[in-house]
Amino acid sequence: MISLAGRDILHSWGKFVFTGIGLGLLIGVTLTMAGVYRGMVADGKALLDNSGADLWVVQQETLGPYAESSSVYDDLWRGIRTMPGVAAAANVTYLTMQIRHGRRDVRAMVVGIMAGNPGDPGWPPHLVAGRQITRGHYEAVADIASGFRLGDELKIRRDRYKVVGLTRRMVSSNGDPMVFIPLKDAQAAQFLKDNDAIWMQRRRTEANPAFNRPTVPGLLEAVLASQTVNNQVNAILVRLAPGYTPEEVAAPIRRWKRLTVYDRSQMEEILIGKLIATAAKQIGMFLVILAVVSAAIVAFIIYTLTMDKIREIAVLKLIGTRNRTIARMILLQALALGAIGFVVGKIAATFAAPHFPKYVLLMPADSLAGFFAVMLICVLASLVAIRLALKVDPAEAIGG
Amino acid sequence: MSPQKRRLMALLLALLPLLGLFAHVAVRSGPLAPVAVTVTTVESQPLNPALFGIGTVEARYSYKIGPTAAGRVKHLFVDVGDRVKAGQVLGEMDPVDLDARIRAQEAALKAARAAVRQAEAKAAYARSQARRYEKLLRARSVSEEQVAAKRQELAVAEAALTAARDEVHRIQADIEALIAQRGYLKLVAPVAGLVVARQANPGTSVMAGQAVVEVIDPTVLWIDARFDQISAGGLAPGLPAKIRLRSRHQQLFGGRVLRLEPLADSVTQEMRAKILFEEALRPMPPLGELAEVTVALPALPARPVIPNAAIREVGGRRGVWLLQPDGLRFVPVRLGRSDLDGRVQVLDGLKEGERIVVYSEEPLTPRIRVEVVERIPGVTP
Amino acid sequence: MSGQGILIEGLSKRYGEGDTAVLALKNVNMRVAPGEVVGLIGPSGSGKSTLLKCLGAVIDPTAGRMMLGDEVIYDDGWKVRDLRALRRDKIGFVFQAPYLIPFLDVTDNVALLPMLAGVSNDQARARALALLAALDVQHRAQAMPSQLSGGEQQRVAIARGLVNRPPVILADEPTAPLDSQRALAVIRILNDMARRYQTAIIVVTHDEKIIPTFKRIYHIRDGVTHEEAGEGRGFD
Repeated sequence: MISLAGRDILHSWGKFVFTGIGLGLLIGVTLTMAGVYRGMVADGKALLDNSGADLWVVQQETLGPYAESSSVYDDLWRGIRTMPGVAAAANVTYLTMQIRHGRRDVRAMVVGIMAGNPGDPGWPPHLVAGRQITRGHYEAVADIASGFRLGDELKIRRDRYKVVGLTRRMVSSNGDPMVFIPLKDAQAAQFLKDNDAIWMQRRRTEANPAFNRPTVPGLLEAVLASQTVNNQVNAILVRLAPGYTPEEVAAPIRRWKRLTVYDRSQMEEILIGKLIATAAKQIGMFLVILAVVSAAIVAFIIYTLTMDKIREIAVLKLIGTRNRTIARMILLQALALGAIGFVVGKIAATFAAPHFPKYVLLMPADSLAGFFAVMLICVLASLVAIRLALKVDPAEAIGG
Repeated sequence: MSPQKRRLMALLLALLPLLGLFAHVAVRSGPLAPVAVTVTTVESQPLNPALFGIGTVEARYSYKIGPTAAGRVKHLFVDVGDRVKAGQVLGEMDPVDLDARIRAQEAALKAARAAVRQAEAKAAYARSQARRYEKLLRARSVSEEQVAAKRQELAVAEAALTAARDEVHRIQADIEALIAQRGYLKLVAPVAGLVVARQANPGTSVMAGQAVVEVIDPTVLWIDARFDQISAGGLAPGLPAKIRLRSRHQQLFGGRVLRLEPLADSVTQEMRAKILFEEALRPMPPLGELAEVTVALPALPARPVIPNAAIREVGGRRGVWLLQPDGLRFVPVRLGRSDLDGRVQVLDGLKEGERIVVYSEEPLTPRIRVEVVERIPGVTP
Repeated sequence: MSGQGILIEGLSKRYGEGDTAVLALKNVNMRVAPGEVVGLIGPSGSGKSTLLKCLGAVIDPTAGRMMLGDEVIYDDGWKVRDLRALRRDKIGFVFQAPYLIPFLDVTDNVALLPMLAGVSNDQARARALALLAALDVQHRAQAMPSQLSGGEQQRVAIARGLVNRPPVILADEPTAPLDSQRALAVIRILNDMARRYQTAIIVVTHDEKIIPTFKRIYHIRDGVTHEEAGEGRGFD
């Protein structure tokens, strides 16, 4: 027996392939949508992975440092470092801001990392070019997504930073590329006011008779100096010593240091559960709509293809072709269309993914699920056409 | 060839590239794709470690010149930016009643001198009287008692003369003190230097000890530099340094570590050191300007050296990924000193000639498939 | 092929029920011997198509009796269970428009029927090619139907009608789109084939050009057949 479906496809392969490519682009959009969601989750996880921390110590009763702002004193880490079960503790600051680079503004998350060695909590865990920060000031390691290159000079607030290293996939939960700079610079950048504000504050303080006392020379200077120092950070990253559970270490910090502590799973819950939940639902809705649209389009295409063949189907039935042979022909055509569509869609999505401004993660499992969904949709969509074909009266082939 | 076959060929021609692309996409992206890494060979090299700190430009010698007593500023002859010579009068305090007091003391001195002359006359008379009565006693014309009375008168007169002379000295000293005080009303430059601040204007009342004019020695500037404690090992006086000023950041100036402050800053966890400029800068940088300081430490002998980008943290241990014929292996290493270019000495754990991973696209695990490349994709040279 | 060819006795077909019922066929009697080609002639609405559909087992007659070869297929009800197989194996169809399957080449258009009946692809194609050779279109065996001329298409359609060696071929206006020369050629082929394969062929037509070629003609009018002798010209 020859394959009627195959012969029909062969006969009108142009129509088939182009329809399949059109369908494929739609499937590509669907796969990309799923990839956008996976990318958001991956961004959240990458943020946690890249921090190198097992515990996040933040201001009491906040969801910091990523989902809410948090600030703790920068000398607290020493006390935490000495608690049992803590292998390493490091201050860190996070600040999402616009970074000037030449004429362009790049939105980035500036991460302040404590002086130390590569591999410490908060430091970029691996690079794709350049080197880690060696100077205590004015050096930066930027993510490649920011578009910066080695040797570029960035302007963060009033200071210039030289890009000495590049990372990949170091992003905030929003997908903004990270820029790592030394903690002290980051503290200055985060809490330092602009020059105008400083001048205004100085004038205000000078006008305040409580601070500007002629009989106490030096008081005003002392007050002004105290206004510009900052000793706050956003969080303390803690790495556990082997053999300790997160809860064992977190409990005493919560109890005695009066700080809020999150472990990895809680942090994921905050980032993925709370921060991107709405976005995920939004994308989920899109996926449903796209699936319905895809199904409608496949159904329509298959229906049209079948309608074009109604005479032939009548003849086939008249000369004794079984219903299931005809049904199989239509079904196989639908599946072939789906397969072409899937292949095109997968290719399109893969090639389009790197061009998206935010990370698009195409998971093979998603693709596989997508393949079966496409096939299922094609089967369902072909049912309409099959029903039509089966209702064709062989008598129609006989004129009159 | 039959039309049917031709169609089949055409279809295959259309679908083959598609399938090829699909296979490429399936293998080169996602978990099947190898992770691009770059590798380097561990080499033994001498290391020139250096320290990096920031600080502010300050004058080594600064002089705050003000009156020793409370008073009002009368004149100021210099302004900020003026160069002054040693001994130059910079300004004057208002003497107020000082001259009147000197004149009064001078009048008192005249009176005291008159009193001295009077006492001298009295004493001369008393001496002559006493001598005459002694002769008379020898002649037995007066009594012993009368002679004793005259001797006592002489002693009184001489004592009065001494007192009058002392009074003259006292008043003279007072006058000298007032004149000296009038000298201190002059604000005099102790050294040649530059006026950097003028904190009061004529007419302002100032307290004793309050600075009116600040003078520095512009030839001797230093940087009050701060170094993070964690990377300040080896900082010592005498080490050469390179200084970069914020306003002239294209230019490097020579310097030398003068001394290490014995007190570190416990809040900022920084060590402080004074870095002297090798030669005076022209134009002089403003005091308080931010400067970056790179202190070169003595060169270290050759040892295995790796780039710091190769250092990873796995399971709480710091180490590097070794590229072996059968795949990747993580080896913990003990690290020594590093230089500012990101090269780190390895004390333990690596041998010369071993190949280690420097950059990687993704985090590495022992079982991951890697592809050694020149440059990680996406990095522009 | 042996037996009766086609035998129809007292066939009637009623459309609808009650007052609106229409009797399309009333007491149709026909007999076509194996190897014989008969014409079925009647004006539009006379019941030709209904008769053809009953005979082609695509609609149900109301009453009567039908035999194909030596098998009773209808006797006040279908006597065969698988009408599809009946159509496939026992009846060949040749239509006014050839209705070839556009996406199959000529060989496969013909070979499809034996394939549907379970014959292997090679055998079916061999049979089709033999038949195409007999019909003198073997040189177009690999062409697609759209590349054929009208006469060629009709010959391929005849080959398809014949390929399963049915005892009966029903030809519905097979010559309508053809000029007289080609129309006569088709009728000649049908006669040849009828003789060669001992097939009973009914040609429904109102084509004046070919009516004289039939030896026997059934006229149908208002659902009733009348048999008369034809001129039988041209092929003896």
